[in-house]
Amino acid sequence: MATPAIKTEQLSKRYATLDALTDLDLEVGQGEVVGFLGPNGAGKTTTIRLLLGLIRPTHGRAEIFGLDAQRQSVAAHARLAYVAGEANLWPSLTGTETLHLLGRVQGQVDDAYRDELIARFDLDTAKKVRAYSKGNRQKLQLIAALMTRPDLLVLDEPTAGLDPLMEQAFRVCINEAHQRGQTVFLSSHILSEVEALCDRVGILRNGVLVEMGTLAEMRHLSALTVEATFDGSVPDLSAVPGVTSVEVAGNVVRCQVHGGVEPLLKVLAVSGVHELLSREPSLEELFLAHYGAPDAEGHVVSGAR
Amino acid sequence: MLAEVTLGPRAVPRARFVVAGETARRAVRSGALWGCVFGLYVAAQALTYASSYKTPASRERLAGLFGTNAGISALNGPAHEIQTVAGFTAWKCLMVLSVMGAVFGLLTATRLVRAEEDAGRWELLLAGRTTRRGACAQALGGLAAGLGAFFVVLAAFVVLVGRSHDVGIGAGGALFFALCVTASPALFLCVGVLTSQLFGTRRRASAYAAGILGVGYALRMVADSGTGLEWLRWATPLGWVEELQPLTHPRPWVLVPVAALCVALGGAAIALAGRRDLGSGVLAERSHRRPRTTLLSGQVGLSVRLSLPVLSGWVLGLCAYALLLGLVAKSGGQALTASAAMAKAIARLGIPGAGAQTYLGVVFLMTAVLLALVGAGQVSAMRSEEADGHLDNLVVRRVARPAWLAGRLLVAVVALAALGVGVGLFAWAGAASQHAGVPFSGLLQAGANIVPPALCLLGLGTLVFGAWPRAATPAAYGLVAWSLLVELIGGSLGLNHFVLDTSIFHQMTAAPAVAPDWTSALAMVLLGLVAALAGGAAFARRDLQGE
Repeated sequence: MATPAIKTEQLSKRYATLDALTDLDLEVGQGEVVGFLGPNGAGKTTTIRLLLGLIRPTHGRAEIFGLDAQRQSVAAHARLAYVAGEANLWPSLTGTETLHLLGRVQGQVDDAYRDELIARFDLDTAKKVRAYSKGNRQKLQLIAALMTRPDLLVLDEPTAGLDPLMEQAFRVCINEAHQRGQTVFLSSHILSEVEALCDRVGILRNGVLVEMGTLAEMRHLSALTVEATFDGSVPDLSAVPGVTSVEVAGNVVRCQVHGGVEPLLKVLAVSGVHELLSREPSLEELFLAHYGAPDAEGHVVSGAR
Repeated sequence: MLAEVTLGPRAVPRARFVVAGETARRAVRSGALWGCVFGLYVAAQALTYASSYKTPASRERLAGLFGTNAGISALNGPAHEIQTVAGFTAWKCLMVLSVMGAVFGLLTATRLVRAEEDAGRWELLLAGRTTRRGACAQALGGLAAGLGAFFVVLAAFVVLVGRSHDVGIGAGGALFFALCVTASPALFLCVGVLTSQLFGTRRRASAYAAGILGVGYALRMVADSGTGLEWLRWATPLGWVEELQPLTHPRPWVLVPVAALCVALGGAAIALAGRRDLGSGVLAERSHRRPRTTLLSGQVGLSVRLSLPVLSGWVLGLCAYALLLGLVAKSGGQALTASAAMAKAIARLGIPGAGAQTYLGVVFLMTAVLLALVGAGQVSAMRSEEADGHLDNLVVRRVARPAWLAGRLLVAVVALAALGVGVGLFAWAGAASQHAGVPFSGLLQAGANIVPPALCLLGLGTLVFGAWPRAATPAAYGLVAWSLLVELIGGSLGLNHFVLDTSIFHQMTAAPAVAPDWTSALAMVLLGLVAALAGGAAFARRDLQGE
């Protein structure tokens, strides 16, 4: 079996009284594109900084292609490229100088691909980093990472500040990387991006990995949304086994169904149902199910699972 | 039951002076600290003079020597009544503290105005109800509060030391003296705020403000060098400060042009603040240029490239200062040769003989302090690279942390060694042009002699950087300030050798007056090396930490 691109065992980080990450067991196979979701402060960046050896674990360990992330970090870094959520580049260097430096430091650059990326992302590299907008700094980081054609791309909210066109260009690049067999570890807030790009998704909450799997698996385990329109009066569905979150609007009922749908169908069959719609939850709904959904007034109700 | 809630924003008391408050909070802290250091310096000078020159005859002799010495005047300004404690204190402190105060002023202004804007902290405030002009005016107000703190602390020291029986400076005179010392920081605070409006980066704003200080200092030097150009004193703010003549013939009316210039500079800064974009200066920097990749093939080259602007400034400043010391060495030495009391005082410092070589031996302590400051600046730069997140870009690639640190230290060590040798060379050039009779090899060795304390500081700073990164910058600068203080007052207070040994300058001999003690120098370097190795080991094992 191929060595996993990323493997962590009980990886934990504690800051004073705060458990930023607790016992993370994670395995990312070579060639996979894995999304890492979680609200602010969930521990996504902490995980990535531990993988990169920028911070040290309180206990547990991490490996990159079988290399210890702390003790063999330089060898591990030879096979990866990282894009930070915030582009802290040297303000006095131009884009060209930055790419030259970062390529030389990494020791490998695909020059033709770099030029193609500059054209795709429409970046003026003669400009000084100081004069770049936030989005352009992010583009520069992305080009610097992609141009080295690494085996593993570690991306921490890489599209922050990019416009929709550039976000599209980013997705094309990640799909190409995927096709070339590169591994991608993507932490993101943009659920549609993760949904479009990732084979598997992990959801982090308060430093604990609460869910990990393919979207299909996660959907299967989650509730189905059912919307039924009745000819006459609306039956009481709240007592039906597996049914939750019942909402009634006129003669329309919307509810969530966990487990089998048979008990619900039995009730509906004798209640004069006129129209029945059902669908799997979107990633957004899965995510909100873990973190709480906004109520009618827009307040977030946590733990609505 | 749910309590009734009010929808929409709630009215709260409007904070009108957020920028002023925030600037004042930080300016007051550094103002009080500098006031304290300046106060101690004044106290040390006054007390040392009072105890070294007890009899009117010895004071008259000293006045006869220094009062008319052009070389010494060019350095310290003209001497007035230096046969009195008050006159000597004013002469010995006013110009030195005015220059140091100007540096404090301009650095504080560019740090709290330009650097804060660069960091994007003003953007949030200006998106509220504050205008750019308003923010600039508020920042000036905040800086004025810092200046106030500086004055109060300094004045407290001067008044206190003035009450000593041996010193005998009245409260009124002490307060006016403190005010005169505050004039230069005030002016250069305003210069710093103005250059912060003109230039888009803190580095350029500080460099141009420092350039103005350099020109002002050079004009004053020419005016005080006894070449008949005394009128030039009125062309430079540092000359105005001299014309205030505190503690001897106080001329408060000279404060009028000082205040007028402060108002004009501050007003110009406020006006310009409204005529530029946030984050840029009135004189826009070119945003495009051809790539210069010569040094960018690795992390050591990058360190050289990033350090070059600051180190070039130091090369310029230190070599000019060394040249000046060389130029006045002969006349300074003649004054020492003719003064028995002075020779005795210097002999107490362990420096034998007299003449230009002895004079250079005494004043080279200051070049050692400046070189140690360069070392502290390098420690601070290492910490900034980590705090700003720039270091992440390297260590997530194929650069190991120890390799980065070793490269960074190599650049600093080479720079310090080259600066030390440069100081020796330029001092020799100055001295040789006046036929001072100081040998080339002696000054070259004297230049090398000031390097070990700076290397030791660099190593100790690296240790703090490795173990407690957020304390690295204050610890490095703090150690230089502490060491200087120990050297200035340690002898007169008769401190025991454990305290004296905490100064990085204590083991340094006063070359070229005496031969360098290479054994002690090697010990200092080894101490620095061990500390740097320990710091490197700690750095490799800790979390990288942002601001």
